[in-house]
Amino acid sequence: MKKLRIFFLLLAVAVIASVSHLKVENLLMAADPVPAQEDWKSEFEAVCSKTQDAMTFSTDELKNLIARCDKLKPLIDKLDESPRKVYLRRLQLCKDLFVFVLESKERK
Amino acid sequence: MKRTLTVMFLVFILAAVTFAQTGVKKRRPLPFEYGRVVINNYSEKAGLAPVVFDHWLHRAKYTCRLCHVDIGFAMKSGATAIKASDNISGYYCGACHNKKPGPDGKKVFESCSTTVPPEEKTRCLRCHFLGKNVKPEYDFVNFTERFPKGRFGNGIDWEKAEAEGLVKPIDFLEGVSIKRQSLAVQKDFSLSPKLEGMPDIIFSHKKHTVWSGCELCHPEIFIGVQKGTTKYSMIEIFSGKYCGVCHTSVAFPLTDCQRCHTKAVQ
Repeated sequence: MKKLRIFFLLLAVAVIASVSHLKVENLLMAADPVPAQEDWKSEFEAVCSKTQDAMTFSTDELKNLIARCDKLKPLIDKLDESPRKVYLRRLQLCKDLFVFVLESKERK
Repeated sequence: MKRTLTVMFLVFILAAVTFAQTGVKKRRPLPFEYGRVVINNYSEKAGLAPVVFDHWLHRAKYTCRLCHVDIGFAMKSGATAIKASDNISGYYCGACHNKKPGPDGKKVFESCSTTVPPEEKTRCLRCHFLGKNVKPEYDFVNFTERFPKGRFGNGIDWEKAEAEGLVKPIDFLEGVSIKRQSLAVQKDFSLSPKLEGMPDIIFSHKKHTVWSGCELCHPEIFIGVQKGTTKYSMIEIFSGKYCGVCHTSVAFPLTDCQRCHTKAVQ
């Protein structure tokens, strides 16, 4: 009887933990989307299409864009050699510009 | 003793003169050679002649950004390390040279392929032609005869050619480029030269961004985040840094002083 009670207790703890973990993860997802493997290109285009407007972004927006670039890198690293070479360079150019503008704004 | 000293002095003078003459004197490239890039990362190892890439033909049709940002070509010769397999997969040269119609509706010849049909045996020579006697499809003199003339480099004023509508460089390649908002016009600014009496440099952001975008120059070429923080010297620029990345190789050369030093001395 005592064993059964402990089992149910442990089960309840596990259920609560998994539910709360999911909620936290969902919240994180909503705040900062992690692109799935197949979505890397649309995420890349969404991020790097903003280079034109880099000067108009706030420091927080720039930091967010830099973080999105960092998240894209491991996905691009998994591509075949040719697209990997091309898109890593493109991502680097794009990220470096955001870092450059961010530093410029922070020094002002 | 006096004779020995005189002989030593003469030897010293002769040695100094001899060493002074050993500097490498660069031959000024001919107009059609200006902006030429030779690529030989893998060509000779594969039994082919090195690739000869002439900027004048491509710059008349495409912006710098399209090739150096969207397609991903590095800014230094050989730094991209292009492989035939990259081109076959549709990257680098293969992004356009893929048998499909180009912007002018004309089919663009395929860059590299695993098999070459007998009728296309000379196709490799269209790019791999260093040291070969090959007649190019586009002749520089014919191609540029209507273009406004410049004093140095290719002998073409490319900026004027675009302003007059003689060249319309394309900035977007379907499937490769990203759709971007049109760029807000950045203000021009002046830079004061170190040399007294030299006119100020007027840097036109507009002229540069229209062809190069932002990320091609910042921060890879121009690291300084605020005007005045980086001190540029003509020695560094002539050695290929800063403005010299493009203005010693493709864009009008640094010998055309008045194209940059344009603000009249007060």
